[in-house]
Amino acid sequence: MSNEHTVKSYEEELQFLKDSLIKMGSLTESQLSDAMDAVIKVDKDSIDKIIKSDEEINKFRSKIDTQIMNLLVKRAPMAIDLRETISSLKISQDLERIGDLSKSNAKKVKPLPLDLPDELLGNLKRLGELVMKQLNDVLDSYVNKNFDKAKEVWEKDEQVDDLTYIAMESVIDFLSKDKKNLDFSTHLIFATKNLERAGDHITNIAETVCYLVKGEYLKGSRPKGKVIQE
Amino acid sequence: MSNVKIKSKNLNVYYGDKQALFDVNLDLNEKEVTALIGPSGCGKSTFIRCINRMNDVIDICKVTGNIEMDGININDKDLDVVSLRERVGMVFQKPNPFPKSIYDNISYGPKIHGKGETKSELDQIVENSLKKSALWEEVKDRLEEPGTSLSGGQQQRLCIARAISVNPEVILMDEPCSALDPIATAKIEELIDELKKTYTIVIVTHSMAQAVRVSQKTGFFHLGKLIEVGKTEKIFKNPDNKMTQDYITGRFG
Repeated sequence: MSNEHTVKSYEEELQFLKDSLIKMGSLTESQLSDAMDAVIKVDKDSIDKIIKSDEEINKFRSKIDTQIMNLLVKRAPMAIDLRETISSLKISQDLERIGDLSKSNAKKVKPLPLDLPDELLGNLKRLGELVMKQLNDVLDSYVNKNFDKAKEVWEKDEQVDDLTYIAMESVIDFLSKDKKNLDFSTHLIFATKNLERAGDHITNIAETVCYLVKGEYLKGSRPKGKVIQE
Repeated sequence: MSNVKIKSKNLNVYYGDKQALFDVNLDLNEKEVTALIGPSGCGKSTFIRCINRMNDVIDICKVTGNIEMDGININDKDLDVVSLRERVGMVFQKPNPFPKSIYDNISYGPKIHGKGETKSELDQIVENSLKKSALWEEVKDRLEEPGTSLSGGQQQRLCIARAISVNPEVILMDEPCSALDPIATAKIEELIDELKKTYTIVIVTHSMAQAVRVSQKTGFFHLGKLIEVGKTEKIFKNPDNKMTQDYITGRFG
């Protein structure tokens, strides 16, 4: 018994959907990494490029939406194909939101002074690197249909929460030393919070991958780290 | 929790030397719709034909194992097959009304089973059956016209009315919508939803989407074996068996 669909074009459409999602994922990765670099290096020249790449991501999202609608109407997918289709819809939504958050972070670079102290940016950099790693791992888990890896990402969001807390604290410390820092410090606080929210979208993707692979949702609630009260 | 209406135990069916069903164990719940799916020749129709002993009419057919209805083995040689078929109605792929009037199509069954002795009793049975099969409004003024003058979808509802006119407990449907257009199909599906409040229904279908829409339980047959059975939702979202998954996703070579 073969694993291919009897209808070749169905097989191709599903593959095309997966490919689109993988491309969207790698675009989202680059954008997140570029936006992080821009913040850490206070690189104002790259802002426009990052904003532009968000448009690309949004285009992918609508392209994927169309592919999914066509698949639902033409093929009425079942079982693994149904889960693949619905998961693509959910994952593309989360990726788009991560893109929005990266764009928002790029915009926050503009008001930042060029001489930010290293100790202020160190924790933010670590947080950014962790979120990047999480996104990379979750996309790997999607490509390889790896339940364990997706679950690991899901559990590791606790560390994102903890690092967010630490990064926030260092910004607040810096802010409390001199009120004239207030203006740009709030931007850094938002940038930190945006990374934490990107982390949440990554855990959503991890949950979706787990459902895609096993057909059931993860039980229990995700371990949570320290959170700054909103 | 639903009661089991029909229980097949190690059911084997042979057509001469050829074995058509292998040790089928399947429970059909009361007042529920069970859908049977699988490629052509997998044994799903053979299975439902065991429930009203339709295979008896095939000389070379041999059935072993039990099918219990309300705990009584209907494969018992001494069982009265006529009264069994009164309890288990059947609707086929192609609508097959008798070459008689709409009225006579419905009243025929009750008459031969000794139900509805007076004209007014029969009138009542005809009206109720047509109402239950959602056909009454369309035919009430033309009951004397031939059943064959109706559209395909109406004829199929007439056959359902005919099946329920003798007040059965179980209705077997063998691809009841495969010859119908989408609107007529929708009407039958709507009707199945209504009928399951009163009857235990088994439907053989080649339409996965139909199985999902109408049934609570689904069984997948392949080469005479029941491969997997479970809640319909589970079967179509996340079946346990790879063969089931390959079939419902269209990966069967």
